[in-house]
Amino acid sequence: MNTPRQRRRAAGWPVALAAFATFAAPAAPVAYTVDPAQSSLTFVGTQQGEKFTGTIKSFRAAVRYGPTELAASTLDVSMDLKSIDTRSGERDAALATAIWFDYAHTPTATFKSVGPLRATRDGAVADADLVIKGKTKRIAFPFRFTANGATANLDARVTLDRLDFGLGAGEWADDSVIGHKVDVVVHLVLKPAAN
Amino acid sequence: MALHSTAYRWGAVARLFHWLTALGVLALIAVGLWMTDLPNGMRKINIYALHKSVGITILGLTVLRLLWRLTDDRPLSPPGQPAWQQRAAQAAHVLLYGLLIAMPLSGWLYNSASGFPLRWFKLANLPHLVEADPALKELAHGAHEFGAWLLIALVVLHAAAALKHHFVDRDDTLNAMLGRRAKDSK
Repeated sequence: MNTPRQRRRAAGWPVALAAFATFAAPAAPVAYTVDPAQSSLTFVGTQQGEKFTGTIKSFRAAVRYGPTELAASTLDVSMDLKSIDTRSGERDAALATAIWFDYAHTPTATFKSVGPLRATRDGAVADADLVIKGKTKRIAFPFRFTANGATANLDARVTLDRLDFGLGAGEWADDSVIGHKVDVVVHLVLKPAAN
Repeated sequence: MALHSTAYRWGAVARLFHWLTALGVLALIAVGLWMTDLPNGMRKINIYALHKSVGITILGLTVLRLLWRLTDDRPLSPPGQPAWQQRAAQAAHVLLYGLLIAMPLSGWLYNSASGFPLRWFKLANLPHLVEADPALKELAHGAHEFGAWLLIALVVLHAAAALKHHFVDRDDTLNAMLGRRAKDSK
């Protein structure tokens, strides 16, 4: 049988636990959406020894990120490849064909983080599945995350090999005419998702 | 072998410039007429790249050639040539030199306005003359094409005139450019 004092103490536990939980639990990842006007998704390829930049004008991104909640943080991007603009009508027309992105069959590329993120000095590394032209490749995606009050910037630069995705195979595989390495430059301005 | 030209014969340098240019221009005309109908593909890209590389080479050669010409002598007109022929020959040569400059430049402009890179024999990239510009691209293409037909007509005229001098007039105009001893040089 409990004494009044013991009952008071027992009643105090949940309060104490709740207080402890509030103190100790890391912040849950914040759900962000992208501000399309300020964000950019570009790639830098090489054609006949000269760099060119393509802009993926239309994409959607959902980011859940908390620097201390990396296990629950996720990156999820979907890109409309038909919106690619390389500042050359002829090049853009070529990219639409089956040799390159094959818009008729695979107009969308996706990027999804897999598993927990790993912390770095100024952000994190996500392992992610990148799907282009129906081909999936697991890539490491290191990014810098800079919080500015409620908004945040996510910046990254990764180098891909176009042949991993079957982009320009066969005679088009000639590295000296169209380079194999393509740098992808990501600049996302994030704002908290309205729930 | 005299490097400099004389009043009767072209020097070795002038002849080298002339025949290298002739070779290049004939190849450019032949390839230029053929390549536009090729199906899109790597072969077309590589053949265009070669056409552009040779064209840029001709541009460089022509600039050097004109500089050399400033310091060089040149053979006299054949004796007894009517004044109108001399004027026509001079006009044709001015036009030929003009096209040797204008054709590579209009091609370069066409390439730049199209937004394409320009790489000389896979060795060095050349700057863009202008930003990509569809209207200018059409204009430059038109100029390059018109210039090509004009150049073809002039090359035919030039070669026909050389043969006429050689076989009809039996003078030393062609010999002077072939480096042969002029028959009646004094």
